[in-house]
Amino acid sequence: MKGIKKYLRIFLISVQGSLQYRGSALGSVLLYTLFISTFFFLWRAIYARGASFGYTLPQIVWYMCVAELIIFGGRANVFEKLSDDVKTGDIVYPLVRPASYIAMQAATAIGEAAFTFLTTSITGVALGLLLVGPIPGFRLATFPLILLSMLLGILLTTFISMSLAFSAFKLEENRSLAFLYNKFVFMLGAFIPVEFMPGWLQSIVRFLPFPYVSWVPCRLAVAFSWDFFAWAVPMQALWLLGAVLLVSFIYQKCMRTLQAQGG
Amino acid sequence: MRKTFRLLWLYGKLNLSAAMEYRAAFWTQSIGMVINNASFIFFWWIAFGQVGESIGGYTFHDVMFIWGLCSSAFGLAQIVFGNNGHITRMIVTGDLDTYLTQPVDPLFSMLCSRTALSAWGDLAYGVILFIGSGQGLSALPIFCVAVVTGALLMTATNVMLHAMTFFLGDASALGSMTLDFLITFSIYPLGIYPLFMRVLMYTVIPAAFITHVPLKIARDFSAAQTLLLLGFTFAYCAAAWLLFQRGLKRYESGNLIRTRV
Repeated sequence: MKGIKKYLRIFLISVQGSLQYRGSALGSVLLYTLFISTFFFLWRAIYARGASFGYTLPQIVWYMCVAELIIFGGRANVFEKLSDDVKTGDIVYPLVRPASYIAMQAATAIGEAAFTFLTTSITGVALGLLLVGPIPGFRLATFPLILLSMLLGILLTTFISMSLAFSAFKLEENRSLAFLYNKFVFMLGAFIPVEFMPGWLQSIVRFLPFPYVSWVPCRLAVAFSWDFFAWAVPMQALWLLGAVLLVSFIYQKCMRTLQAQGG
Repeated sequence: MRKTFRLLWLYGKLNLSAAMEYRAAFWTQSIGMVINNASFIFFWWIAFGQVGESIGGYTFHDVMFIWGLCSSAFGLAQIVFGNNGHITRMIVTGDLDTYLTQPVDPLFSMLCSRTALSAWGDLAYGVILFIGSGQGLSALPIFCVAVVTGALLMTATNVMLHAMTFFLGDASALGSMTLDFLITFSIYPLGIYPLFMRVLMYTVIPAAFITHVPLKIARDFSAAQTLLLLGFTFAYCAAAWLLFQRGLKRYESGNLIRTRV
């Protein structure tokens, strides 16, 4: 319990820190508005010509609102921070602290993203209501479950980013890995819902971690079903567990090769 | 002028050799850009498969043309003028000092002294898309011209917004956001946007001149439209240069001593 309190405190300090960068959150809100508006105009033009993808126009607009919310709101610079810690040697300083480096970085990253997530959520709900009205068939009782799925998605992407960041132990220039990863997350489930893909691609994509970042919470938000929840959310939790184990394994392995020379 | 182009060539060579120092990163980023762009094409392929002939007045081939053009123009801007997104940081940290002492235009020298790895993927991908867009060889000259004018317009827009740092303080967020606006407006059919946004795209945020006007010329060549494109690009770049020069007069050096290796 004491351990959890420690990381909760780190999380709160990080939230306080992010409140100082209100301009950055405003920038995210403006960009978010641009993307949602553009996607709305685009989907409106596509649906006006009689398209049918299994989602109605209000559903697909809300899908984009939630997907972009996870991408914008869940975006913390954990990859850059960890990579820089490794490259500059700053990673040795937290080792003397009585806390897990991984858990500390995760709490900081989630704290950093919290304020942007909150401001972007308010914008997302306002935009969705303004552009297409409420989500058809939405039940308020399912909201905590959708929120849980969003949190799992954000945690999953945070831990995967951390695993990639430790590649800095081997690669001098590792930003390209994060770049590739973000592209896969965006295209496989955020910008294009998995249902829109051909059958053969769907069967591959479902076995990858990328759609569990945003596809699951988006689909739950716009077309909630207990069957889908019972299958997809445990899958998210499994992928998250896998990502946590992976980052712990990589961290332990890398720490064995670390040489500190004072300074 | 000759000296400037020689400097541009030397910067290009130097930047490329610096990029190749990290070969794995170079290829990962380039391939990443291609995957990213290819997946957007996949999206359009699905969308056109559902609705048939046109979306917002553009056919599938038209969309390929504007995507290819935007991608190549962005790539060229980031390869040749790779510092265009870092101007604010250089003003704020005092890195600009280095360029003020050189015997060439400081803006030009500063813009050219960096390149972006992933931009090579953008440039190549744009050309591949153009070939696949089915516009034919007759559209090749306007494609090449529009890649250059597009790269200049993207750079000029960035210069204008980052130059606001001289007047308002840190304008990096404004700069990066406007580039996002510019690209977003350039890659979707003009017909999907409401009228007031189209007016914006022909004036303040010159997205229409980056892809949509060149597409019109490629579809149906018009000397007047071509002259308009060239004239607008020249005027916009001149305005960006003038704004930067005006701002430069307000710049106060911190006497930063720095070694560039």
